[in-house]
Amino acid sequence: MFRKYIALIRMKYVEMLAYRLATIVWMTGAMVQPLITMVVWTNIYPSQSNSFILYFITLIFVERMTSAWDVWELDREIREGTFSNYILRPFHPIHWAIAENIVYKVLFLIVLLPIWGVLAVFVPALRPDVSGWQFVLFVTALFLGATLRFMFSYICGLLGFWVTKVTAIYGMFEVVSLFLSGRIAPLSLLPPILKQISMYLPFRYMIGFPIDIVMGTMTRVEIGYGFFGAMAWAIIFISVLRWLWKAGLKKNQAVGG
Amino acid sequence: MIHVQHLSKSFRVHVRQAGWFDAVRSLFKREYRIVEAVKDISFSIQPGEIVGFLGPNGAGKTTTMKMLAGLLHPTSGEITVGGFVPFEQKAEFKKMMSLVMGQKSQLIWDIPPMETFLVNKAIYEIDDRVFRQTLDELVELLELQPLLTKPTRSLSLGQRMRCELAAALLHRPAILFLDEPTIGLDVHTQEKVRRFIAQYNREHQTTILLTSHYMGDVTALCDRVLIINYGTLMYDGDLKVLTETLTPYKLLEIHFPSVPDVSWDDYGELVAVEEGKVTLRVPREQVPEVSSQFLRNFQVYDLNIQDPPMEEVIKRAFQEGAHVS
Repeated sequence: MFRKYIALIRMKYVEMLAYRLATIVWMTGAMVQPLITMVVWTNIYPSQSNSFILYFITLIFVERMTSAWDVWELDREIREGTFSNYILRPFHPIHWAIAENIVYKVLFLIVLLPIWGVLAVFVPALRPDVSGWQFVLFVTALFLGATLRFMFSYICGLLGFWVTKVTAIYGMFEVVSLFLSGRIAPLSLLPPILKQISMYLPFRYMIGFPIDIVMGTMTRVEIGYGFFGAMAWAIIFISVLRWLWKAGLKKNQAVGG
Repeated sequence: MIHVQHLSKSFRVHVRQAGWFDAVRSLFKREYRIVEAVKDISFSIQPGEIVGFLGPNGAGKTTTMKMLAGLLHPTSGEITVGGFVPFEQKAEFKKMMSLVMGQKSQLIWDIPPMETFLVNKAIYEIDDRVFRQTLDELVELLELQPLLTKPTRSLSLGQRMRCELAAALLHRPAILFLDEPTIGLDVHTQEKVRRFIAQYNREHQTTILLTSHYMGDVTALCDRVLIINYGTLMYDGDLKVLTETLTPYKLLEIHFPSVPDVSWDDYGELVAVEEGKVTLRVPREQVPEVSSQFLRNFQVYDLNIQDPPMEEVIKRAFQEGAHVS
């Protein structure tokens, strides 16, 4: 298992180097929307601009570290029939996707951390007062968020066995998630009813929850509930994934050839 | 090695009419049609055999092959391949077979083929020593050395196909499914691939099921053929016997210094008269007699006796399908 992952990670790394420019554009492009949103909010509440800066810079970091593109890949591979290549091999296709995620996210980490470090020298707001425990909780929540977002994206991708152009469905969820995951505004600024709803949906645990840990705005009990919600969704997603995979293979038309 | 019994596969296909109005209508009311791609097929293949799988486009060849490889779930019937039920997706099953599709690539597009080989080495859990040995053998047989480090996308079709074969054989599968491995290749490369397949089968006793549109592949590689049309198996047996029953004649090609003026119908059915050359269709049993008559009674440069082209045999098989089986 370990050796297989090493081989896949190596291959994905070589592949990523083949797409140097695309990788850079893709990484920096994703920062634009949160930065614009940040500027808007600091203008609305100039007195709290420091906490908005911390929130949105953390958001950029968390968003990149949890980003998921697998639905686009799966949609294309299933529609064009190249997915068969993975089914034929004696290693579950999801491992290829996980290996790819590891490679790109390590790259994001290597690029983003030094940038944060340099920015923090000039912008005091970026030196959050985070205890060791808080940091451990943040990393754990971030990992859970990345897992949830990945599985959600993969689940939508597997729907490609039934529906062509499944990315449309995913796009719809992305819009919902813009609000409920805390990407447009911190969840604390949402109307109470939306905030209530977001607790029961998976989107908050993908992005907003790790950020709120850094911001230090949650009580211990709230953090506990947060982890409980994230874990619950992880279990749900794992079961859905397993079921969809089995059902999807039966439905598979292995097009082309 | 391969046992197939009463295998069927049907697809539910959405019927779409062309045109603006019908396209809109299909948004609200979808019509489906059941397409039976494969109907009640049974056959077995012994270890080490190379079997040709023939049929026109859309006959059900690829569908059958995809079921044998575990990609498609059969609607009904039973398949065992090397003792496994393909659709159960067991890792041991996948390690003992390979499917090569001429139209699809397992090589990773933007990086060199060697990277795919290394990934396969890990995934198929190939031992270092065995991997080296197999790779060396394949590199030599398929002349891959200069191709290993070029990005796959920059390879020509023929070069890519050779790498494709290597990628599929690294784990030394006991069963190889080849779906049109020579499609789109030039005659020279086709010949190369063909020779490789024959040699590989001889040396490793790999069981091979092969589909192709090029009769050259089939006549060069397969003693036994399966013919399928409209999803049903129409013939399963010796290629020679098929040729003899379906086309009970040979082609006689006679070269003259100058074509004599004779009544050709007395010797056989006239196919063509060209400058200094006459082609006749002669019933098999009369071939020796007719040719000796020509050699005795006329001044003849050269005389060739040929089997009718495979295309014609197949065409007849499809026309007279019911009689063959």
